[in-house]
Amino acid sequence: MTNPVVDYLDNAATSWPKPPEVAAAMADFLAKEAANPGRAGHRMAIAAEKMLDRVRKQIADFVGGADPHRLVFALNCTDALNIAFKGILRHGDHVITSMLEHNSVSRPLQSMSDSGFITLTRVAFSPQTGLIDPDEIRRAITPRTRLIALSHAGNVMGTIQPAAAVGKIAHEHKILFLLDAAQTIGVVPIHMDRDHIDLLAFPGHKSLLGPTGTGGLYVNKTVAVESFNAFREGGTGGDSATPVQPRLMPYLLEGGTPNTVGVAGLGAAIQYVIAHDPAVTLAHERKLVQHFIDGVADIASLTVYGPRGADAAAGRVGTVSFNVAGYSPQELGGILDETFSIAVRPGLHCAPYAHKIIGTFPDGAVRMSPGHFNTLADIDKLTAALHEVAA
Amino acid sequence: MALSDQAQLLEKADPALARYNRQMLWEPIGIEGQKKLRNARVLMVGCGALGTVLANTLGRAGVGHLTIIDRDFIEINNLQRQVLFDQQDIADQLPKSVAARRKLAAINSDVQVEAVVADVNHTNIEQYAADKDLLLDGTDNFETRFLINDVSIKLNIPWIYGACISAMGLGMVIRPGITPCLRCIFETAPPPGMNPTCDTAGVLGPTVNVVASWQAMEAMKLLTGNIAAVSKSLFSFDLWDNRYQQLNVSRAREIADCPACKHRNFEYLTGKFGSSATSLCGRNAIQITQPAGYRVDFPQIAAGLRAAGEATFNKFMLKCTIAEGPADNRKNFELTLFADGRAIIKGTNEAAVAKAIYAKYVGS
Repeated sequence: MTNPVVDYLDNAATSWPKPPEVAAAMADFLAKEAANPGRAGHRMAIAAEKMLDRVRKQIADFVGGADPHRLVFALNCTDALNIAFKGILRHGDHVITSMLEHNSVSRPLQSMSDSGFITLTRVAFSPQTGLIDPDEIRRAITPRTRLIALSHAGNVMGTIQPAAAVGKIAHEHKILFLLDAAQTIGVVPIHMDRDHIDLLAFPGHKSLLGPTGTGGLYVNKTVAVESFNAFREGGTGGDSATPVQPRLMPYLLEGGTPNTVGVAGLGAAIQYVIAHDPAVTLAHERKLVQHFIDGVADIASLTVYGPRGADAAAGRVGTVSFNVAGYSPQELGGILDETFSIAVRPGLHCAPYAHKIIGTFPDGAVRMSPGHFNTLADIDKLTAALHEVAA
Repeated sequence: MALSDQAQLLEKADPALARYNRQMLWEPIGIEGQKKLRNARVLMVGCGALGTVLANTLGRAGVGHLTIIDRDFIEINNLQRQVLFDQQDIADQLPKSVAARRKLAAINSDVQVEAVVADVNHTNIEQYAADKDLLLDGTDNFETRFLINDVSIKLNIPWIYGACISAMGLGMVIRPGITPCLRCIFETAPPPGMNPTCDTAGVLGPTVNVVASWQAMEAMKLLTGNIAAVSKSLFSFDLWDNRYQQLNVSRAREIADCPACKHRNFEYLTGKFGSSATSLCGRNAIQITQPAGYRVDFPQIAAGLRAAGEATFNKFMLKCTIAEGPADNRKNFELTLFADGRAIIKGTNEAAVAKAIYAKYVGS
């Protein structure tokens, strides 16, 4: 199933390979039911609509969301985040976020701040532990704070953040809590209520093992639908007489024909993820990360960022970044690809603030991110290559 | 009729054409040919050594409309051979195409010149070529030539190939459907780093002038309808050793199973072949990638780069810092080359700048 040529260690960007069930479900849907979904259409339209609803339910269940209609399909996590920020924020709101964030959070918030629409505070994280301090978030709260937006795990070091603690603080202050689960959904347990999450943005194509072009936003019951503006307006497959977007979830936030083929694949992917137990996958990825950190410990010119040592992988998802002295990250990435056929990701990982904190801005670092299908042998291949390059 | 009488007659017929008197006296051109030149629309891809001689010659000759595309700015080491430029253009930090337009406006205001500062690639060449009568090669790389070749065949517009290095030059007229095309002769672009470039092996001004003057003459024949006089050979010479050759290539079209002109499979124009440039996540760097299967030879390239800068290499990569730009605004670019021909060019966020450096110092 895997590409015999490439040792793929870039799962934090997009997981690969996908379970064969995903491609099969997509091909099957495409062949049999891929009509435009609609609640009052012909039998194929209804079948497509049913498929969407079935996957909505699967995802809602997976994240502890009580109402599948509050699950909005999006193109990816960035899209979901934009739906949330542009739908929920009002002029004069104060937003707290962190320096771990991906540009999908940083950029929309920064432009809203630059235009004077919101004010923004970014809290730092410890370069040693890779963790934010919930108390620092608490201290940043002002009477105007309306939203706390936090990455569940940073995409540079993969350290898992204390989401529930931050959510609790948010709710104590009647502030909305948005969790960006780009790096965690599919491996780290997420529960809308238990983790005090109001808005959950996630991609389908990373640890959920679904196809690209899928993702979603779960809007918890704690967020009044009335408080949302539709970021995108258009056809909904029903309520066509209403002159503006119907104020009915999920259609309020879902204009236009959805990626039904992708969602069919995502449904199969989630089924696969659950059947293989996310906890087992997380343990596997941590084992691979630890194996890597142990394997390169004797390379003096190699720096691993974030937690090191015997239990360096304990609080992480399968992501770790490093540099080798004498090579820029881009050069190292180029060599690993060109000479060793190993796919890693060099650069800033769309997370410039995180690289500033760990001291790797502006060149960045090389990130390796094993996934569900990687093996110890893949890691051995990488560490052997790094030994050769650093020699 | 005496020559002087004929000249007077021509001037009377159309006073605007008086400046072309000596050209119109050559009977195959005459007043009709001159009018054809005035109505002609020519695309010039590249405005360096060959391009400036072409623009200078054809602008003076009265070709009515010239579109000049080039991605570069002028540097002091261009002036040795790029005849349209001077020191003031460098002081003014002008792009080559813009400086060429300025100079041509002073030489011949009859000529309409459109200056485009851009990297010609598979996404944009068709729009520039679409309404032209002729395409002229003033480029420094094979990849762009194959792109011109594809668009020429697709749109049925002739083009004239020209290339030079040191004292050697090459030229060929390609008339779609009639002559062999460039891919009938050279199947694919040579691997990067295989051939010396003007920036690694040097080039002499007279070489440039001969190639571009030959191209310009063929252009004038084509544009004035003197088809019988158009060259049917691959013209090559070495001015240093005084060798001149006309290689008969007329059978190449029958022999070659040419993807471009026989199968109309435009592999360069569709973007299937050719390099690609992507901005790298990180600082100020562009990565150029080559199609799979290329291998470059580090020692050979390092030797070629001697004039540009000190190149170091190990078994994984070659690095060289190259200074480019005007003397008062010199910028360092760091070239990192991998064995499969891919390169990281640090010091720019612009694909066009990175591609220009790659073409000059690695060759493509």
